[in-house]
Amino acid sequence: MKINYILYGFGILLCLSGVGYLAVQYVKYLSELGRLISLLLTIGMFASLGKFFESVGW
Amino acid sequence: MTKRRDLYLYLTLICFFAIIAIFVVDGYMGVYDTINITAGERPQKIDPDFWLRPEAMTYETWVAWGEKVFFDYEIANHRLTGYTAEVNASVWRSQEKVRDLVTQPLTINALSSGRVEWSIDTAELVPGGVTQGQSVQYSIRVRRDNIEWRIIININPGSLPAPPKPAIRPAQPG
Repeated sequence: MKINYILYGFGILLCLSGVGYLAVQYVKYLSELGRLISLLLTIGMFASLGKFFESVGW
Repeated sequence: MTKRRDLYLYLTLICFFAIIAIFVVDGYMGVYDTINITAGERPQKIDPDFWLRPEAMTYETWVAWGEKVFFDYEIANHRLTGYTAEVNASVWRSQEKVRDLVTQPLTINALSSGRVEWSIDTAELVPGGVTQGQSVQYSIRVRRDNIEWRIIININPGSLPAPPKPAIRPAQPG
């Protein structure tokens, strides 16, 4: 069972690093305004996600 | 409580899809240059993202002496407003301008494109030809507003007719 969780963790890390890499590549081609709005939306997204998990009881 | 929880989830999703939308729209919006070069019989296309690469300083191409190089410069206006610019192309060598090739004002409507064409005759540029084993470099500077693209043209010796060989006379007997 333990090996399963290790593999899950490994998979999640790979997914996050892949998404992060793609985001960096995309951000390179964005305008300054686009970067600013994306940053604000990212903050909003994580804040909402945090509040969602808080309301779930995590 | 459930409604509030759903609201946070919806807000998260809205922010996520808004970020994706910005990536797509902001990546599309703008003014993009595509340069098509036909050197000899070889067509080449310089896509807009070529100049965005950090290592891309210049584009380089080769042509045989005596042949013409044709340029087709396309400006795509992916904006919701019109775009006006003056396009200038010139030939340079050793940091000195040799000649202007074209200077043309261009007005492009929103979400449309415009193009400027010109050509170079290498025989006019290097009238004496290029000696075998060497090549001559010229750079073409294409300017639009404050942006300048540089294309290096290497002019190689063409297939010139071989110089006539001196006739060898048979040795005279005696």
